[in-house]
Formats: sequence, structure tokens, C-alpha cells
Amino acid sequence: MVKAKEIFLFLMLFILGVFFIYIYYYIKQTQEDIFIKMQNNKIENVRHILKNIEDTLVTKNSITNKEELISHLSNKQNRDKYEEMVAIFITPTIKYIYLLYKDSDDRFRFLLDASKEDKANFYQKFDVFNKEYALVYETLEPQSIKQKKMQNLYLTYLYPIKTSNEVIGILSVDITSDIQSEILNLLRPLETFFVILIIFIFLLMLMTIVQVFHYFITRKKIFTDPLTQIYNRNYLQEIAPRLNLNHYSLAMIDLDYFKVVNDVYGHKAGDAILAKSSLIIKSSIRDNDILLRYGGEEFMLLLYNRDSKDDLSEIYERIRKNISSHIFTYEKNKLEMQVSIGVHEYPASEKNLNEAIKVADKMLYIAKKEGRNRVIYHRDNSKVTQDSKSKDLYFVKQAIEEDRVLCYYQPIYECSTGKIFKYEALVRIIDTDGKIISPAQFLPDLKHTNIHYKLTKRILSIVFLKFKDSSENVSINMNFTDLINKDIETTLIETFASSPSLASRVTIEVLESDEIQNTALFKEKVKLLHSYGATVSIDDFGSGYSNFKSILDIEADFLKIDGSLVKNIATNEKDFKVVKSIIAFAKDSNMKAIAEFVHSSEVYDKLSEIGVEYMQGYYIAKPCQRLLQSNELFEE
Amino acid sequence: MRAFLLALFCTLSLAASDTSINLQVKILEKILNEISINKEKIIWSDNKTICQAMKKNKHIHTTPDHKQATIVILQDKNNLPKKCADCIIFVLDYELLSKVPKSFGAFFWKKGRPNIVIIKSRLKTLSIQASSDLDPYIEEKVW
Repeated sequence: MVKAKEIFLFLMLFILGVFFIYIYYYIKQTQEDIFIKMQNNKIENVRHILKNIEDTLVTKNSITNKEELISHLSNKQNRDKYEEMVAIFITPTIKYIYLLYKDSDDRFRFLLDASKEDKANFYQKFDVFNKEYALVYETLEPQSIKQKKMQNLYLTYLYPIKTSNEVIGILSVDITSDIQSEILNLLRPLETFFVILIIFIFLLMLMTIVQVFHYFITRKKIFTDPLTQIYNRNYLQEIAPRLNLNHYSLAMIDLDYFKVVNDVYGHKAGDAILAKSSLIIKSSIRDNDILLRYGGEEFMLLLYNRDSKDDLSEIYERIRKNISSHIFTYEKNKLEMQVSIGVHEYPASEKNLNEAIKVADKMLYIAKKEGRNRVIYHRDNSKVTQDSKSKDLYFVKQAIEEDRVLCYYQPIYECSTGKIFKYEALVRIIDTDGKIISPAQFLPDLKHTNIHYKLTKRILSIVFLKFKDSSENVSINMNFTDLINKDIETTLIETFASSPSLASRVTIEVLESDEIQNTALFKEKVKLLHSYGATVSIDDFGSGYSNFKSILDIEADFLKIDGSLVKNIATNEKDFKVVKSIIAFAKDSNMKAIAEFVHSSEVYDKLSEIGVEYMQGYYIAKPCQRLLQSNELFEE
Repeated sequence: MRAFLLALFCTLSLAASDTSINLQVKILEKILNEISINKEKIIWSDNKTICQAMKKNKHIHTTPDHKQATIVILQDKNNLPKKCADCIIFVLDYELLSKVPKSFGAFFWKKGRPNIVIIKSRLKTLSIQASSDLDPYIEEKVW
């Protein structure tokens, strides 16, 4: 598009170049034609002269063979007579006229030479080897030889002297090239002009080619993602206006748990996984499909489907299987990856490409929500719809950008003192209508995305600001990947180092889940927090893959019993026993137990009975934007 | 012989990109290569340009002193060394063949074409052996 001007220029130069080459050859051809016409004209004139000489020499003397001819010309008087006669025809252009005879050894010899200069002797040998001399004898027809750079000679005309259908000699006429030279000299400036012009155009064409070549190199760089060597979003922008969506199915592909790879193994590992994944996807699609890196770990795929009967689901499934079956290796680590794919089968049904991408993105979101490692399709008659209550990533991203994130604080009650021990900061978002949106509507889908990390950073800044100059304790929720994130770690360290009083009042609540596989790393982070005086709590203990050994190794300060166990404690004997065991385990392990989801007096009583140290729940106090006081607890 | 003719024509073809004197020298060198005499071939010529050009050829031995020469390439009869009893003479004009009886051959331009003439009887007299490649140029006498 940018280079249309250059291509136009190149075409113009090309046409101009061809035109001038044509003109040049036309001039050359015309020159040639002029020479041929001149030559023919000259030959025609000479032919009549030579015919007359032949008549005079042969017919009038009744010569019947070459012996008679030699005998006749052996006489010097005869020779002088004929040479004098022929010399009349010598002009500035007709330089030499002479009669040759071919002897028994096939050597040509002079019988007559009417030339005024460079005259040959009678019977002197003449070394001529052009095939035309032999042809005169074979064909009995005159021949002409176009001389090249031979002492101003331009043309030699050979006329056979015949008797009884036999050639007995050759009358040879040498014509000078003076006129030809004159014509050449006249035309030379024009010829030179065209040659220079052609060279100039050729150079311009070369420069244009170099420029266009440079453009394509640059263009390739602009449109190629350097890491994966596939197209990037610039390319999408470039092709979008002329992309016929009727011929494509659109898919958004996202690597599952990619953030974990980045956080645990580092960005280099992440880059290696991305590069390899793009290779696998590329090898799973066809040449006319378009794959591009949409951003981060997200790929966009446009599958070509000229024939609507094509079953493209096979390709999507192949991509998913190829990724999940591949063992990625980074240094000595072996990693398994999965992809979630959101497909819009009829992107042309949307207003534009961006709308189609949004739909595919929603399908991807559903794929993530439904457990990942799957392909979710959007078809015109599809019943797949997004939960109207749930909020997508864009919603959270927008809320962060527009500063609509805030925290509610729920008191954690200390049973022994009857006072508020600390507050748990709970995230909320104010939607554009001013409604408060609870985390249940947006948090589950943020897991392992960059938005989650950004949201955590925002919460930290809100909480730290609120509690910096207060004397209250506060708990902040964080998942394991947040905890090991370098950026978040830096924020925590910088804040704690500058405000040790705040550090000693902060508890980081980390969700107990299957993600805490790297216990050593977790332990290292806990130690770091402890070194600044902060405490650590294991959140939702008992809900996930509770590994008592790992929990002991981590050396957390608090153990928060999962609400799903606590809420039925008054009615479910099994839950009661589990909770009781966890409390005993916490005590034995030098950890303090916190029971959440205390929603009724029955639950509260049961927990009091088994000696839990801290409780929180709606029965005690609901989360509130301001910090409630101890005297405000247990109010309906 | 065919090879010689071919070589001669190739040489002539080269003339397109060569000067007249260089062409002349190349032909002379070819002729001198095709004859053998009973002594070393040491060339002297009254045409200094030819001498200079021949000097560049490693296979041709030239001399500035005609007394040391065994072969004389003569352009002008007046330049014929008087004390040159043993040398053999090659002339650069057909007419000189008659004027210098000791000359055995000539190379000259006739009507813009290079011509070679070698006189058979003189070859014999001067004990010069000519290769068969020179046969097309051997004449019984000077016409």
C-alpha cells in the first residue's frame, strides 16, 4: 500500500525502458535497412558493369574455357587494354576491380587488376578463404561478402565469368565503407543518447527494485512476531480490510496455565514454550490458514473453509491434541501444556472482524471456565451462551483502568478476647451503573491471567494505603502464582521495608490448592515474608489437595478452614469431625486456626465447643467498606 | 594444415580487437614457428615496431644487432644489412621478393587482406624446412 507509488514508478520505468530499447533497436534496424538498400543499389550498378566486362572479355573473344582465358590474358597488351577499360569504373567507393582465377591447387590468382593502387601482378597468388568464393563456383551465382574492419572495405562483390555453364573466373569488386561510416557517424550521437538513456532507466529500475525489496524485508519484520516467527497483530490490521470472512472460521487459542510457567520457570521458559507451541499449531494447520500471535500466550487462527462442508473441528481438535500430547522441555524440565480454543465458525455473520474476535474470545472464556483443554464453538444456532451474571476479563481490565476497584473488610473475631483480631480485605468492583460486583462474578475466570496479577497489585496498593497509618491487622488474599511473581514480591518488600509496623500487621492468605506443587519455593517465600515480620495464612484448608506434610513444611502462621466444611458443621457429623481434626492439627503444628463461613449461631457454638481461636462469617459481621468496630459485631 | 588455417583465421578474428601491427606480428611469429633452419632463430628487423612487439614473445629471440641475427625481417631494401651473409631474409613486401633474391618469403597486405608467399626454390637453397602447414602459401616463383 505504502509502496504502490514505487511499484507504479517501477512499471513506468519498465515501460519507458522497453520503449527506448525498442527505439534503439528500431534505429539499428533502420541503419541496417539503409545499408542493405545501399548495398543492393550498389550491387545492381556494379552487376551491369561487370556483365559488360564479361561480355567484352569472353563473348567478344570467343573464350570457351579457362585455359583460353589465361592464354588470352597472358598477353600483356591484352591485359593493359582490359585493365585500362575496367579502370574507368574505379570511383572513390569502388576501390578495386580485379579478375581472379582458381588454379588446379584451388589457389586464387590475379589475371587482371584494374586497381589504381595496391595493384597485383599477373598470376600473383591471392589468399582469400571466404566460403563465398567457393560458392560462386558451386552455384554459378554472384556472391557478396560483408567485410568487417578490413581496411575501409565494406563489401566485396563476386561476379562469375561463365562459359558453357562453367565458372572460369571471378570478377571481384571491393567497395569502400566511407558512406557507411558517414551514416554511422551521423547516427552515433543518437545511438549513444539512447544507450545512456537505457542505462539510466535501468539504474533507476534497479534502485526501485532495491527499494521495493527493502520494503518487503521491512514489511516482513513489521508483520512477524520475532519470538514465534508467525504473523503478529500488525499483520491482522493490514489484512483486515480485504479479508473475506465468508471463507474463514475464526479461533482464539490460549495456552492454559501459561502464567504459571512464566512465574515458576521464568520468562525464557515461557518464550520457549510459546515458540514451540506456535510451531506445533503451524504444523497442525494448512498453508492457506492464517495463524498469528494475538498477544501474550494467545494465538488467533483463521481457518480457510471455501467449502462450507469442510469439517474444521478436526483441525481444532488436532491442534488441542498435538499440544497436550507434546512434552515441552526447557533446560532439564519437562512440561505438559494444554490449550483452550474458542471458535467462531461463521465470523462473517458479525458486523466486523473485531466483533467476531470478541465472540471467539467469549468462547475461549467459556472453554477456560469449563475446565480448559477444550474447544468451544460458537455456531449460529448454538445454545452456548455466556452466563449473564458473570463478568469477563474486559470488565475487570476496564475497572482497573477506570479505578473502580475497591476493598471491603470483614472482621476476623478472636474468640478468647471477644474483639476483632484483624480484617480480611475482600475485593469488589463497582460496575458502570454503580452496582457493587462481588468477586464470585469475576474472580474465578481471572485465575492465571495477567489481569489477576494486575488486580492483586491494585488490592495491595488499596490495602496498604488504608492500613499504613492504622493500628489494625489485615489479611490479604493472594494465590500462589501471585506470591511467586517478581513484581508483586518487589511491591511487598519495598512496602514492608519502608514500613515495618505495617509489615507486622499484614497476613498474606495463600489459597491451598493443587498449584502449590513447589513446596520449597513456597517455603522460601514464606520465610521472606516472615523476615519482614509479616505472617502467612493457608486459606481454604481442607478443600483442595490437603497435604499435611507440605503444610507443616511451609511453616505458616494461620490455617483457615475452608467454608464448605465449616458451614455444615452443626448438621453434618463428618464435617464436624474433619474441622475438629484440622483444629487439633493446627494446634499441634503451632498454627492458629481460623474458621470462616460462620453464618449462624449454631455454627458459632459448635466452633466454640471445639476451641477454634478465630472466626469470621456473616453471623459475626458482613464485609463492609469501612472498618467495623468490636461493638458492631453480632448485629443482624 | 587445416589446423594452421584455423589458427590463422582465429588470429585474423582476433584482429577485431587487435591493432594491425599486433596482427602482423602474430602472423609473422606463426610463420617463423613453422620453419626450421640449421641454427638458432635470432630475429632482427628494420621495422622497429615489429622488433619491439616480438620482444614480448618469450619464444622468439630478437636482437638489436643485425650481425647477430640469423633471420632478417625486411621492410625496406635500403636497410638490408651488407654484412649479413649467413642470415635468411623474410620480406614485408611482395615486390621485395624479386628485389632481394636471398629472401625466401613475404608477408604483405594485398587489397586489405593478409597474404603470405613462400618461394619453394629459395627454401631449398637456404636449407629451410617449412612445415606442411605452410603448403598453401608455397609458390614456385615470384610472379
